[in-house]
Amino acid sequence: MSVGGLAVGLEVAPADRGKRLSPWVYALVAVAALVVLSVVRLLSGATDLTSAGTVQAALTAAVPLAMAGLAGLWAERAGVVNIGLEGMMVLGTFGAGYAGYQWGPWAGVVFGLLLGVVGGLLHAVATVTFGVDHIISGVAINLLAPGAALFLSKLYFSDAPGGGQKQSPRISDAPKVTIPGLSSLLADIEAKRWFFVSDLAGVLRGLTTEVSLLTLLAVLVIVGTAWVLWRTPFGLRLRSCGESPAAAESLGVNVYKYKYLALVASGAFAGLGGAFLAVSSGQYRDGQTGGRGFIGLAAMIFGNWRPGGLATGAGLFGYTDAMALRGSSAVHALLLLLGIALVVVAVIQYRSGHQLLSGVAAALGVLFGYWYFSTDEVPPELVGAAPYVVTLLVLGLAAQRLRPPRHAGEPYRRGQGV
Amino acid sequence: MPHQADTPAPAVELSGITKRFPGVIANSDVNITVRAGTVHALVGENGAGKSTLMKILYGMQPPDEGTIAVDGHPVSFGSPADAIRAGIGMVHQHFMLADNLTVLENVVLGSEPRKGLGLDFAAARAKIRQISDAYGLGVRPDRLVDDLGVGERQRVEILKVLYRGARTLILDEPTAVLVPQEVDELFGNLRDLKAEGLTILFISHKLDEVLSVADDITVMRRGTTVASVSPSGVTARKLAELMVGSELPVPELRESTVTDQAVLDVRGLTVVGADGRTVLDDVSFTIHAGEVLGIAGVEGNGQAELVEALMGIRVPTAGKITLADRDITRASTRHRREAGMGYVPEDRHRQGVLLEATLWENRVLGHQTRPPNARGPLLDRRGAKADTRRIVEEYDVRTPGIEVNAAALSGGNQQKLIVGREMSGDPVVLIASHPTRGVDVGAQAAIWEHIRRARADRLAVLLISADLDELIGMSDTLAVILRGRLVADHDPATVTPEQLGSAMTGAGRED
Ligand SMILES: Nc1ncnc2c1ncn2[C@@H]1O[C@H](COP(=O)(O)OP(=O)(O)OP(=O)(O)O)[C@@H](O)[C@H]1O
Ligand SMILES: [Mg+2]
Repeated sequence: MSVGGLAVGLEVAPADRGKRLSPWVYALVAVAALVVLSVVRLLSGATDLTSAGTVQAALTAAVPLAMAGLAGLWAERAGVVNIGLEGMMVLGTFGAGYAGYQWGPWAGVVFGLLLGVVGGLLHAVATVTFGVDHIISGVAINLLAPGAALFLSKLYFSDAPGGGQKQSPRISDAPKVTIPGLSSLLADIEAKRWFFVSDLAGVLRGLTTEVSLLTLLAVLVIVGTAWVLWRTPFGLRLRSCGESPAAAESLGVNVYKYKYLALVASGAFAGLGGAFLAVSSGQYRDGQTGGRGFIGLAAMIFGNWRPGGLATGAGLFGYTDAMALRGSSAVHALLLLLGIALVVVAVIQYRSGHQLLSGVAAALGVLFGYWYFSTDEVPPELVGAAPYVVTLLVLGLAAQRLRPPRHAGEPYRRGQGV
Repeated sequence: MPHQADTPAPAVELSGITKRFPGVIANSDVNITVRAGTVHALVGENGAGKSTLMKILYGMQPPDEGTIAVDGHPVSFGSPADAIRAGIGMVHQHFMLADNLTVLENVVLGSEPRKGLGLDFAAARAKIRQISDAYGLGVRPDRLVDDLGVGERQRVEILKVLYRGARTLILDEPTAVLVPQEVDELFGNLRDLKAEGLTILFISHKLDEVLSVADDITVMRRGTTVASVSPSGVTARKLAELMVGSELPVPELRESTVTDQAVLDVRGLTVVGADGRTVLDDVSFTIHAGEVLGIAGVEGNGQAELVEALMGIRVPTAGKITLADRDITRASTRHRREAGMGYVPEDRHRQGVLLEATLWENRVLGHQTRPPNARGPLLDRRGAKADTRRIVEEYDVRTPGIEVNAAALSGGNQQKLIVGREMSGDPVVLIASHPTRGVDVGAQAAIWEHIRRARADRLAVLLISADLDELIGMSDTLAVILRGRLVADHDPATVTPEQLGSAMTGAGRED
């Protein structure tokens, strides 16, 4: 497939709002992205860009972000802003640490989920029953949860074998699966360093080798969420509470009930995200979430409050995370990638009539390109910031036509609909 | 009907209903009997308690006192779900639709057809199409409500009620947003429904309509019923007297005050929508000081886009807007307002007021940089409150005070507040979309009088209205908008509502 053909394919992608893109367009975009990746790999020689190891690491990093984003999605679709995600994730990491080292990873996952639910219920009682401002309640949870987790970890972990005041004993990892045969075949192709083909093989190998069952579970809940929220009566009612609670109420929907249920689910997913984090890194540590709850929210916004978009956003952030872990030469290659991506954004924005945005994106893109070609590496201090820089740029420049739930974050009282 | 006696039980019987809000008695000892299979109209001034009464019947608010009987059985509704189960459906004065959901989702919400655990979209779509076809509603299930005009939203609301199999329909001011042809269609629908044995409770401020469609009429005033009449026994004039104690007003401009000084000049204004459709096509006009330009048109022909482009809410694709010799095509909405543009929006809840803010805070909106609301960079709370009291007084906004939230006002009173706000601060041009939508005949006369007086004071007005009598009576110049183009000019002195109506639908034109 030629690059020219791709460009034609991209042109048919309509920029209309409300209209869903066909799966073919998504596939084409994915292929185009991979082509760009392999070009950058050839130019920079950074094999890490598409290696199976990077993809695996990206996947591991993306899963907690996706779960956080999903938690935000459930809450905001029902009209409650849940900035307390971070705190709920902390509860999840602690729960996973506590149960995980004693009874194994799955017990850890379940326990982390349950503690997340406790956080979600707390948010529900505050915002739905008592009408507390959503942000205030969320911030309170974010302050409360790490303190509680630290207190409990001192209580339970300091005397446990291998544990400490700020960390739990080791948790064994969840089982991993590999598609037999395929993996080694792909490894051979990957080693050839062919343009595009090897890159594709690397990505596929990353996606099919040593995949944690937890990752599969995450994929299941994302798909499940899409189905439940958009294809079932339950989901319609839940979303109606975020879009127009007064209309929902006037049709006999019990808005309080659905907000509660949504926050229970939200807490559960945030807890799950925390548990994934603890289990995949082998233990609970204080401060382990490191702002992932907020990046999860950013992924949700990037994904326009939809599961598929959210997963894409989480994948993007997970990828930059993984590159940051690979060190400064990989991040250096990332500069070029970001430069190209910004130029693409510039072209898209220009075509949809946003000259100013397009100009900013183009200028930044050129700047990143210049940075790449005029230096040999990125200062190590900036490497860790890569995911956040990408978050900012992506949110600022690409995500312009968003449709948040109309009444998210507003207090709601029964019978006050007009 | 399950219950057949010699004389059928009344469809709805409300006895001794009383409802108090802080500082107001919305209903006091109301008694109404609605015969099954009839159209029963409820009329009364703004704030008389009509909507409140209907919300009580629909289970949205509990009455403080009194009882409700449906088909002869006493009932007590804890929520709309109970009322829906008893066969009651309501179309609200202010639409109850979720903009980001599709028509289908809005319609089935709360009573979804199921297939296994999932929602049965195919069945829902089929049923919506069937109802839509049966009553000629022309509703397309897969469109986003956000993209619909007011008339279409109205039909979605009616479809929502029919979908639930309601036997008693409450329609709270359904015709306020419709143009005459649409009203006729709606009334045709209502007659069909009545023929099938359904009962309809209907609130309106348009008394001619009430007389033409109702079988019984109940008049409310200050929270209680003051008369029950039959349409054959009264005239619109008599009804108006019963309602507000004064005569029926007629919109008319006395002597012409049009000057030759152009205030608002629009050239070649074109707007292309998000979907690439041209929604406003090369529109040009000039409004002079002291002139009212009326624009007639069926909802959704570009009026909303025209108004939004004029106010700077929507960026025009091409064209030029000049206000008093200044090019404001690229000016921000705030600059336009500061340059003297007043704006009465078509949908008061979406664009006119903040429901959860007090009246005086709403007074500040859009005028936040100018006296009496601001002193330097700071808000002048005292000045704003004093001026809000003036508006409440002058425009007869019925409210217990200026510290209550706008949500506590009846629809018509919210409208009066908005008009009062926009007429304050000496605008040089007023963009008025349906300025008297939902206000009673008495208040309508007052608003017209305010506009007339400001016009004599050299105000230029762009008037968009679904009420053709208002348009003809209030305009110095009349234009018709059709599919985004200004297609015809009429002389308001000679044109009849019928001629205007057919021009609006493009009847008698080639394309
Ligand atoms: N939620 C509320 N809180 C406080 N007061 C309210 C509330 N709802 C209505 N009221 C008051 O009750 C009275 C009756 O209001 P209602 O909406 O029933 O009037 P209406 O007859 O429907 O008027 P309109 O023709 O303007 O729609 C008004 O004085 C209004 O201010
Ligand atoms: Mg009302």
